[in-house]
Amino acid sequence: MLIVERAQALTDEVFAAVAAVREATVRLAGGGPLRSTDLAALRPLLFERLGPLVVGLGFIALPGLLADSHWYLEWWQHDPDGGVPRQFNAELDPARPAFYDYTQWDWFAGPQAGAERSICGPYVDYLCTDEYSLTFSLPVLAGGAFVGVAAADVFVSAFERAVLPALKDLRAPAFIASAAGRVIASTSARWTSGAVYRGAPGHTSHPIGRTGLSLITAG
Amino acid sequence: MGGADPRQVVFAPVGNGARVDLVVRRLADAIALELLADGEQLPSEAELAGQLGVSTVTLREALVTLRNNGLVETRRGRGGGSFVRTPHTAVVAVRLEGVALQDLRDFGDHYAAISGAAAKLAAERALEAELAPLRRTIAQMEAAASAAELRRLEGRFHIEVAAASQSARLTREEVMLQADLGLLLWLPHAELDGPAVACPHRQILDAIGSGDAAGARNVAERHILEAVERLVELRLRAT
Repeated sequence: MLIVERAQALTDEVFAAVAAVREATVRLAGGGPLRSTDLAALRPLLFERLGPLVVGLGFIALPGLLADSHWYLEWWQHDPDGGVPRQFNAELDPARPAFYDYTQWDWFAGPQAGAERSICGPYVDYLCTDEYSLTFSLPVLAGGAFVGVAAADVFVSAFERAVLPALKDLRAPAFIASAAGRVIASTSARWTSGAVYRGAPGHTSHPIGRTGLSLITAG
Repeated sequence: MGGADPRQVVFAPVGNGARVDLVVRRLADAIALELLADGEQLPSEAELAGQLGVSTVTLREALVTLRNNGLVETRRGRGGGSFVRTPHTAVVAVRLEGVALQDLRDFGDHYAAISGAAAKLAAERALEAELAPLRRTIAQMEAAASAAELRRLEGRFHIEVAAASQSARLTREEVMLQADLGLLLWLPHAELDGPAVACPHRQILDAIGSGDAAGARNVAERHILEAVERLVELRLRAT
């Protein structure tokens, strides 16, 4: 089915950007103890891959990895108005009320626990973009040890735009759901993005390759 | 509105005034939600203007408004700059006197509608794993040591419920409503302790967790309306 290929190609495209961040970070980590300033070397690579699809991209360090900052994200966001990318300035001082403990989020905890490719969401990203988003992440290993996560943000609206034509080609209501059953993109008015699919009579689920996503068709 | 072509309004250029309002709103939101802490020094005007993507003229105008609202204090000379001022209870109480009773009622209706809708959708849509942040926030409420911490945790809980509804719009609305009058809402129960504050929030969480959409809407609406009722009583005593 074209839609399966399209969804697979789309996730592969996003993961390719994340993998590039991972490889560049591993190369940097090979040069001895890392400092937050060393991670600035990732920026040209991040800026090149940011756009309407990948709206956020970067490396999130395992707390304690860096010699100078216990918590650190080298995280950059696409500017839809065409300006230069912006760095996300999270509160990383644990003593402060708005402290952002990123290790508690699935896109970090999953890879840390050994998940190879994680697609988290859709979720309302109220801490960062205020948008309905998906986060794609990969573990970063240096010398066999987990040192952090490479990740990319994709707005659900962009994902939907990219797969909707192929989804419509099915000519029957159908939708793509996350591994947890959350609907991402849909041509069914009954199951719109954000709904939870827990199985329903008359519906069939088809896994989409190695994405962890499923295509659900009626009938 | 009277007589003017609404399309003229829609297509009017986004002027400097709108940008000033936007910057005021953004910074006021951050201060009300305590993302910017009391006493925190803001970056230099040039730096802040750059970060927000506005001109220094726009930023300066916004800072004047924030200063007039008592949310920012500017000190001159060595060690000077602009500093965040989280309004203290006494200041908030004075602000309450300036709010019309009818506006409080209207705010309560709006806030209850948003919170009720968010809780209902969260009960329908939230996955078990997504309730972890809400559980964490309630545990922190029960153990909270200060009124300021409780106020921050309460605000966070309601934003987490809105996010669990899967609606970016409801979440943004929740943040805006909290920034508008959230500090006032806290006023009548500033003397409550952690477990007392946690109680209604646990009811909301339990209803969401058991997938009881109607129940979640009811307890969330009641929670907000009761808070507004106490606020109205306080306001009546003030006049």
